[in-house]
Amino acid sequence: MSKVKIRDSVRRIEDLRFLTGTGNYIDDVVIGGEVVGVVVRSPYAHAKINGFDATDAEALDGVLAVITGAEWAAQNFGPIPTNSAVKENRDGTPISVPDRPCLASERVRYVGEAVAFVVAETLAIARQAVELVDVDYDPLPAVTHPVKALEPGAPQLHDAIEGNLCVDWELGDKDGTEKAFAAADRIITLELHNNRVTGAPIEPRGAVAYYDDASGTYTIYQSSQNIHANRNQMATILGIDKDNIHHVAPDVGGGFGAKNSVYPEPVITLYATKKVGRPVKWVNDRAESFLSDTHGRSQYSTVEMAVMNDGTFKGLRTTTIGEMGAYCGTVGAFTPTGGSARTQGGPYAFEAMYYSAKAGFTNTAPLDPYRGAGRPEGSFQIERIVELAARELDMDPVELRRKNLIPKDALPLVTSMGLDVDCGDFPTVFEKTLAMTDRAGYEARAAASQAQGKCRGFAIAPYLECTGGMPKEHAVISFDDDGSVSLAIGSHSTGMGHETSLPQILAAQLGIDIERIKFTQADTDATPLGGGHGGSRGMEMGGNAVLQTAGEVIEKGKAIAAHHFECSVDDVEFDDGAYIQPGSNNTMTMDNAINAAQDHSTLPDDLAPGCLDTGSTFERGIISIPNGCHAAEAEVDPETGAVQITGFWVVDDFGTIVNPMLADGQVMGGIGQGLGQALLEQAIYDEESGQLVTGSLIDYALPRAEDMPPMRLDYYEDSPTKKTPLGAKGAGEAGCCGAPPAIVNAVLDALKGHGVTHIEMPLTPEMVWQAVRDA
Amino acid sequence: MYEFNFQRPANSDAAIDAQANAEDGQYMAGGQTIIPVLKQRLAMPSDVIDLGAIEDLSGITIADGTVTIGAMTTHTDVATSGDVLGAIPALADLASMIGDPHVRNRGTIGGSIANNDPAADYPAAVLGLGATVHTNQRTIIADEFFTDLFETALDEGELITNVAFPVPDQAAYMKFPNPASRYAIAGVFVSRTGADVRVAVTGAATCVFRAAEMERALAGNFNPDAIEGIGVDGTDFNNDLHASAEYRTHLVSVMAKRAVAKALG
Repeated sequence: MSKVKIRDSVRRIEDLRFLTGTGNYIDDVVIGGEVVGVVVRSPYAHAKINGFDATDAEALDGVLAVITGAEWAAQNFGPIPTNSAVKENRDGTPISVPDRPCLASERVRYVGEAVAFVVAETLAIARQAVELVDVDYDPLPAVTHPVKALEPGAPQLHDAIEGNLCVDWELGDKDGTEKAFAAADRIITLELHNNRVTGAPIEPRGAVAYYDDASGTYTIYQSSQNIHANRNQMATILGIDKDNIHHVAPDVGGGFGAKNSVYPEPVITLYATKKVGRPVKWVNDRAESFLSDTHGRSQYSTVEMAVMNDGTFKGLRTTTIGEMGAYCGTVGAFTPTGGSARTQGGPYAFEAMYYSAKAGFTNTAPLDPYRGAGRPEGSFQIERIVELAARELDMDPVELRRKNLIPKDALPLVTSMGLDVDCGDFPTVFEKTLAMTDRAGYEARAAASQAQGKCRGFAIAPYLECTGGMPKEHAVISFDDDGSVSLAIGSHSTGMGHETSLPQILAAQLGIDIERIKFTQADTDATPLGGGHGGSRGMEMGGNAVLQTAGEVIEKGKAIAAHHFECSVDDVEFDDGAYIQPGSNNTMTMDNAINAAQDHSTLPDDLAPGCLDTGSTFERGIISIPNGCHAAEAEVDPETGAVQITGFWVVDDFGTIVNPMLADGQVMGGIGQGLGQALLEQAIYDEESGQLVTGSLIDYALPRAEDMPPMRLDYYEDSPTKKTPLGAKGAGEAGCCGAPPAIVNAVLDALKGHGVTHIEMPLTPEMVWQAVRDA
Repeated sequence: MYEFNFQRPANSDAAIDAQANAEDGQYMAGGQTIIPVLKQRLAMPSDVIDLGAIEDLSGITIADGTVTIGAMTTHTDVATSGDVLGAIPALADLASMIGDPHVRNRGTIGGSIANNDPAADYPAAVLGLGATVHTNQRTIIADEFFTDLFETALDEGELITNVAFPVPDQAAYMKFPNPASRYAIAGVFVSRTGADVRVAVTGAATCVFRAAEMERALAGNFNPDAIEGIGVDGTDFNNDLHASAEYRTHLVSVMAKRAVAKALG
């Protein structure tokens, strides 16, 4: 048994389960008597559906049902809802949101779109039946490129939406930016592409559902990272009361945003289980995961920076074309607009900034948040244009950044993008990072590289982040007869370690052993609301909900201590795990207070056993501003274009660090994902056929351990945010914001002698080789 | 997967019989290609005949300047064999670069060369060392074994028993791996035995091939400088998502020079 404090690196409680093969993932969930559902997916990027013939599939032994798009359409269910925080175009008209049915019946718009669902006794039978479902398609021309989709004459995806345009939007100080540009010595311009990627969680999406006839309620387990919202959205689609769906996520093997959205398959699974009267299990295979998970990023941007000859930044203007895919995802138009605009300009001082974006529909899987959801795009834009500005001004990129960082005493401030930056110390974080990188030894390392025919480069990339996601979170703390303490939370770990870090907060607050706490997350019966996972909200929202609820428990316990001390409640204080009565020798540990609370005889007359049980909703006022600085060293083989990142250094300001070891894990994972985007990953659709070319792990390159650099991490902890009581600013997505620009700029620095100024991500060896050759 | 009969014969004769008697029999020699193909429902063999239980198909022997490797010997066993490391370290090195540990622990040399994937590593060693492939019916020299994309000189049902590698004076393998799969985007195996030089290229074209012009240049002077400026004709090279034909052509030259340098130690 052990006492823990906030900022202890408490080891991950869940790892015993995960590392011994006893995790409970979706395919491990057994209801008993379940049958298997498999989706029939469109092989075409764009086609008219003339009809369905499921006769042969239905005739197969062991097939219970074939639910076609036509059957679905006849039920008059609602479309899959979109809940974009950006709802209007720049002219005030509503953005264009097409109807998206769970099963397409008239037209398919991307390869992998669900058109039917087979339910059979076994997976083998179901897969065989899928091949027997005859869907009569008339193929149509497709467009998969986000820029081409908005051009005149492009194939049109939705009859009611002209020019494939979903949203046309702007934010910032347009006039002020124009003035800054007019007054500047130079305008630096860069066109860049933020490559399309996919989350590729190690566990594909899946669900198991059953229907109870007597109560008319559904239970569904899903590999989801957002179960309360998904429950509500599924109920809306099916036209039923949300309280008739009990939604639970078992252990979830990664999400990265790809498990945020409400998807067609779990809704169909609910329908199917009621229809066949048996529990139904549907689990995607890897190929389906590539085809049907939401993808992320995919922005074509022009970034312009107004700058003085002495390096002083004046103005920033970004013009972006983003991509929705075939339909709006759950967050829909927000990512390429508000999501990308908010942190424009990073931690640098600008007189004015302006952001303008359009996003349209393409014959591809829908895009939705992917770790960072716009902030990494913004971070990449500013850090790339700053690096280019240093080249064009012939200034040291480190000096140029140092010169323009927002000074500590300028905070708090509100940027042109409306971002409320309350606290932090960007220059200190920057210098602390730089000091870690062994600049003194750099020349020797560069010479050693050169001796081997290689080029070495260095880059530093400060970033500015913000949190997001649902602004409310609920925690329930209850005390059980067996002495255990139950903590239930509506936030959700898909691998980040909340089963450790949230009980850690509770144990630290109450002064009880962490082993005493039983943890529950992601269960609609356990908490009345929950924001799940997303927007780096785990500590910011979940942590604060636990802190707040623990505080309420402590307050309630004062009455028990006062009864015990025979004093007034007002005379009781709580300190370091115990109630005390200052000026007396009276003390009562929280453990004793909890025990006393279980027994009538030790409670005052007006309290009953269970009196300490508390549920409480924490509500955020304003989003928090994590920030930090990444630095990378790269070694490039100019003869082959091969890149190795040889060193990586990070200082993060996440405010209060609850568990440094888990924070390290978040940062390292984010660096890995950022390195993947920078060097390896790209989801590619064929422009003619609309087929996903990178549809397997043979063709879609994920980073491996050997691709990763040695990493040194540190934190700046002198500036916890006062926006929330815990002071944590959010850690989950920061790695993805800093790593791509640090890596890309380090490679470009390595190739400076070859005259290379820009390479689009991912910087594959061939791209690097071509850039060297063409420069 | 579609349904199939699974057979696991105890000896080569039983395996050959099983294949002959099957409607559409498929040998499995490690399963690193056929299992994914089956899982994706891209093949429908009537019978899968697992060669994994046939003990005399695996093992490494060394005699009279020849390293003989049983067809069912895993990549890991070749990579870590003291005999191979001592006699042909380049061959052990190549085996250590195949795929990942899972692949190397399951995949076999016989399975690899019978499949003749254009980006596989082993064909480069077999051709680059001038090895001889022994089957249940005959011996086939390397230059006649690899015939085309996923095609070999093997007849239907013919079973590789072992591959015999003559020990060279110097040899090395260099590959530029595909970052996703670790298959070769371009891999070059060079060997020198007396005045005889072999340069085998994998990954670049539809089938492993020998770079004759480089071989001639290196026969006179086994040094990277000898092939400076001598390229390969990449007109028909693979041109795909992973690399353009032009890039592969360039990489073949770079890998060849580096392989020679590596062979020289």
